[in-house]
Amino acid sequence: MPRAIRGVLIECEPAIKAIIVMLDRANNNFIVEDLDDTHLVVQESMLTLLKQQLDTELKGTQLPDELLDDSE
Amino acid sequence: MAATGTMQLSDFLENQPGTTFRRLYQQPSSAFAIFRRMLPHMAKTFVMALLYMPQPMLLRDLDVWVKPDAKKNRDQALSILRSLHIVQITPPSKDKPQEMSLQTNFKKSLRLALEGGGDHKSFGVPSALPVDPAIDIDFLDRHARRKWEAILHFVVNSVGLSSAAADAGAGPKASVKDLLLAGRLVEYKTVTSEEAEEAKRSGGFKKAGQSALHITQAGFTFLLQEANAQVWTLLLLWLEAAKAADAPGMDSVDMLSFLFMLASLELGRAYDTDALTEPRRNMLPSLVDFGLIYIPRDNPRQYFPTRLATTLTSTAAALRSVSSGFAAATAGPGSSSADVTGLASHSDDKGSIIVETNYRIYAYTSSPLQIAVLALFCRLNMRFAGMVTGRLTRESIRRAIDYGITADQVIHYLTTHAHEQMKRAAAAANRPILPPTVVDQIRLWQLENERMKATPGFLFRDFETQEEYRDLVTYAEETGVLVWKNDGKRLFFVSKYEQLREYLKMVKKK
Repeated sequence: MPRAIRGVLIECEPAIKAIIVMLDRANNNFIVEDLDDTHLVVQESMLTLLKQQLDTELKGTQLPDELLDDSE
Repeated sequence: MAATGTMQLSDFLENQPGTTFRRLYQQPSSAFAIFRRMLPHMAKTFVMALLYMPQPMLLRDLDVWVKPDAKKNRDQALSILRSLHIVQITPPSKDKPQEMSLQTNFKKSLRLALEGGGDHKSFGVPSALPVDPAIDIDFLDRHARRKWEAILHFVVNSVGLSSAAADAGAGPKASVKDLLLAGRLVEYKTVTSEEAEEAKRSGGFKKAGQSALHITQAGFTFLLQEANAQVWTLLLLWLEAAKAADAPGMDSVDMLSFLFMLASLELGRAYDTDALTEPRRNMLPSLVDFGLIYIPRDNPRQYFPTRLATTLTSTAAALRSVSSGFAAATAGPGSSSADVTGLASHSDDKGSIIVETNYRIYAYTSSPLQIAVLALFCRLNMRFAGMVTGRLTRESIRRAIDYGITADQVIHYLTTHAHEQMKRAAAAANRPILPPTVVDQIRLWQLENERMKATPGFLFRDFETQEEYRDLVTYAEETGVLVWKNDGKRLFFVSKYEQLREYLKMVKKK
């Protein structure tokens, strides 16, 4: 008999997935099932927390906005 | 990241138990409204064919009607009919083939609705009293629009630019505001010092530490919906609130059935309030607040449905399109006196936004509300009499996405509100209205911020045999709930679970 597990399917780039797996390892238990390089299932209740942590993790990776010169 | 949408009628109905449907279908107007509004064409065809069949029909006979390549449509139609409890299908067994038939109440009511007759009063009782000639369709449209726009203004204003909020004047009634709050279309948030700084730059005024109304993701989705869907969203919030409060005499099934009845009334006609039951009469004041009906002050025994009510169950974009709905929201209360010709007249209003290839934006408007909407996704830097200038930046788009606005929504807004000059130039050169570089860049900025796509649902695993897996995954695919699968690992993910469970039970019994 097959089993059905409630969760949220996450679809993302392999790099992002690696970060999620890393966050999960730090004792957070997000992941229900690791599906493949670009997919995994996480717990529904942890989604907001996961998004927050991912944002914090990636904050440093973006360049600041180009300087605006429209002071016309 | 996926935006959480607002609730739709179909979602609401799907969560109701069978008893609710049996009661709803006692009213011919409800049965008719569901038939009209909720069913795809193929499902309607099935219902019409079954309607006058004296005996249940064999399920396999259906295959003769439907071309083999439309099997997917057939399964979808059947699953909708079953989830709305319109069609009953006997469980499969060895000695008897499966049969399908219409639910008794539904069949009776739909026949009544089509043929007329009966003493059910479910299509309203016209008032016998003389009607004030001043109350014509124009008047009702004006009334509906004033009420509805007050609600839209309230949601837009919650963006937080106080300059706009000050102009709004009288908003909707407190009860309506509470509904919007309860439905999380807007919410109170404490203003951070960062936002206060931002507001100052874009011409508004906010104090750090103060709690202010904020639009939510759901609120923005609400704004971009067409009027018909907006009305339903609000009404469903109302039904939920009544259910939660458990107020005596406010029965959500009866309320819903009353709404379906309103939808069947004729615009511009007076109806008799005395013919309504007590609980339904108690609903009238709220419906007046939403702008669905109008009751003359000097004659409370009559009520007039407005266009908002009579188009509730029609599938056509009844009132106005998304863009003109937005225009209505952004036109400003002062200007709405100028377009009193009916709710539909908004579609011809002129665009005002010019977008340049260097991401600069010029908007010829002085409406505080349109400026507030622009401020959601632009960095505004100058304001003149009748014009604002700004710029699309990575940061401004990121903020918009945080609000739950998608790149497509921004692009759609800019396209439909593009200045005539842009449209003319684009048509002459045979180019798209917006500069392609800008459109692409907005999408890229969104991708940058949307690092993962989340779909709630259920993972199916631990299949014993390949056949078992293949069977269920095929069924999931046909009913349109399959999101992801991996044949090698025998795993798949679906967005909905209920039908698969039914299916599994059926298979097990065989």
